[in-house]
Amino acid sequence: MEILTNLAQGFAIALEPMNLFWCFLGVFLGTVVGILPGLGPSATVALLLPLATQMSPTAGIIMMAGIYYGAKYGGSTTAILLNVPGESASVVTCIDGFEMARNGRAGPALGIAAIASFVAGTVGVILLMLIAPPVAEFALRFGPPEYFALMAFGLSMVVLLAGKSMLKALLSMFVGLWLATIGIDMFTDSERYTYDRVELLDGVHFVVVAIGTFAIGEVLANLTSNSSQQMFKVPRGLRNLMPNWQDIKDSRFALLNGSLVGFFVGVLPGAGSTIASFVSYGVEKAMSRHPENFGKGAVEGVAAPEAANNSETGGALVPLMTLGIPGSATTAILLAALILWGLRPGPLLIQDHPEIFWGLVASMYIGNVMLLILNLPLVPVFAQILRLPGYILYPVILGVSIIGVYSVDQRLFDTWLVAFFGLLGYLMRKVEYPAAPLILGLVLGDLMENAVRQSLMMSAGDVSILYTRPLALVMLVLTAAVLVGPLFRRMAKWRLKVAEQEG
Amino acid sequence: MSWWKSADKSELACSAILVALGVSILADAWDWPYLTKDGPGPGFFPLWIGISIIGLSVAVAALHLYDVVRRSPVERPNWRGSARVLTGWAGLAVSIALMKPAGFILSFLLLVVFLVMVIFQRSFLAALTVGAGTSIGFWVVFVKLLQVQLPAGPWGF
Repeated sequence: MEILTNLAQGFAIALEPMNLFWCFLGVFLGTVVGILPGLGPSATVALLLPLATQMSPTAGIIMMAGIYYGAKYGGSTTAILLNVPGESASVVTCIDGFEMARNGRAGPALGIAAIASFVAGTVGVILLMLIAPPVAEFALRFGPPEYFALMAFGLSMVVLLAGKSMLKALLSMFVGLWLATIGIDMFTDSERYTYDRVELLDGVHFVVVAIGTFAIGEVLANLTSNSSQQMFKVPRGLRNLMPNWQDIKDSRFALLNGSLVGFFVGVLPGAGSTIASFVSYGVEKAMSRHPENFGKGAVEGVAAPEAANNSETGGALVPLMTLGIPGSATTAILLAALILWGLRPGPLLIQDHPEIFWGLVASMYIGNVMLLILNLPLVPVFAQILRLPGYILYPVILGVSIIGVYSVDQRLFDTWLVAFFGLLGYLMRKVEYPAAPLILGLVLGDLMENAVRQSLMMSAGDVSILYTRPLALVMLVLTAAVLVGPLFRRMAKWRLKVAEQEG
Repeated sequence: MSWWKSADKSELACSAILVALGVSILADAWDWPYLTKDGPGPGFFPLWIGISIIGLSVAVAALHLYDVVRRSPVERPNWRGSARVLTGWAGLAVSIALMKPAGFILSFLLLVVFLVMVIFQRSFLAALTVGAGTSIGFWVVFVKLLQVQLPAGPWGF
């Protein structure tokens, strides 16, 4: 009952005309930066920090949070239409989203992404509202060994991303893990694999690798013929550009799975939406009756990661609002904003300043509705991009890719890197090395190495710390099950074949 | 040596390149401390990555050769059209090299004209129209509206 009273007060605050305006501005800007690769929500929130600190804390946090979750909505657009993942969490959306676009189903893919984002965003807010304090306490029980186990579980998803060859997928993942080691080692300040290039001291940004292997690799793969025809079929009629009832029915479990996985992974500081999207995709494929459709344009393959990506926002706000712990670059800037307003984020924030917490929660409900209204009508408009003939569409993809990469750090070196990874992506396609495990390894490698080294520091080198703590053990058992599962399936198939031959 | 003739050389070349990468990773990691008094050193993680890459690459090559020797059907990549791809990529590389002296807009315009004329074999007029349209479109959207900084030439764009 107390929650409902608080929520009603929150809506009273969020529905004030000026707060509605800031909420709309936030989600609109978020959608725009989400569509553009490279220009992420953290950079946009940071740019608007001086403006936000001039506003009231409630209005400021409503606008900044709007950018944060609005960017998640927009991130899927270029991933589905152009195979350009604007953020690491969108890499998974590329796998089936772009295949749907190839099959003439770009509209339904964009529509289901918007619906998944809305459903999961709302579920995330409900969970944030209902179970924030106990979940935050649970998250605090995650030490380095548990993070190691979580990363191992995330990396085990390589099994589900593998194409024809598991060995090639694993190799791709290990190369990604190696790329993650490039730069300065945070523990000892020593340089690793920088080859005397100052630009490599900060490491290789995932945007460079993801855009290179996915977008530029795709463009290069399509240069093999001089066909100037329209590249993808785009059906006519509004009905064919929106998801149908069957799409929604097929996605219902994916929406639930993505929403829950996204929220609980989001609660863990540092885990992030990438692991949430990969894990939810893996869970969906493992549970699906038709896992063979994944990677070929399965609508659930878009719904699950998009739901996880958006629900993660609600989860990430839990440790920020209840413990004052930021779990990502964007929440770190939100934390800075709260401190600049003279607030003390932590267990007493909700108690001392209920207007901020409940105003934010209510604004997120409203913001999610605004985003759905803003995004769904744009689906048919965006889908028309694919009507462009190849000689226009591919230069556009190249331009968006180069600008996206350059805008991360304003360095031409990164554009050289993206060209290199583009060629690599093309070659990987030809020799059937999947690119998604490379990104998985790159994004999780750093976190995993830190978790292993911190764990072994804690135990003075005793490796048993990695598997003796209950939570870590449970996740490692799950990891082993995911890794060994395909072997059992293969053995069962083989036994069936032998039995058929004998019988 | 009939198996050598049947083997897919690109598959073996990939494995060889990956083994070389693994050895290079391992060689560097060898010079860094594996363990320090505080725990694992900077060489700890890369060492295992290098070993894994070498092991997996050898396994991929061995499995391929096993398939060849067993005369199982071997799928070969289709390299037709790769010369066009490399030409397109070379155009991209030249365009990136031109970005510092000439700026993004001009170098991208030249890239698009090159791709549309040489790769897609359209007329110069079509190439120029697409090149100018996309370059100006990007300049308006990104530089003017979104204030994204792009490499600028001596004429300011």
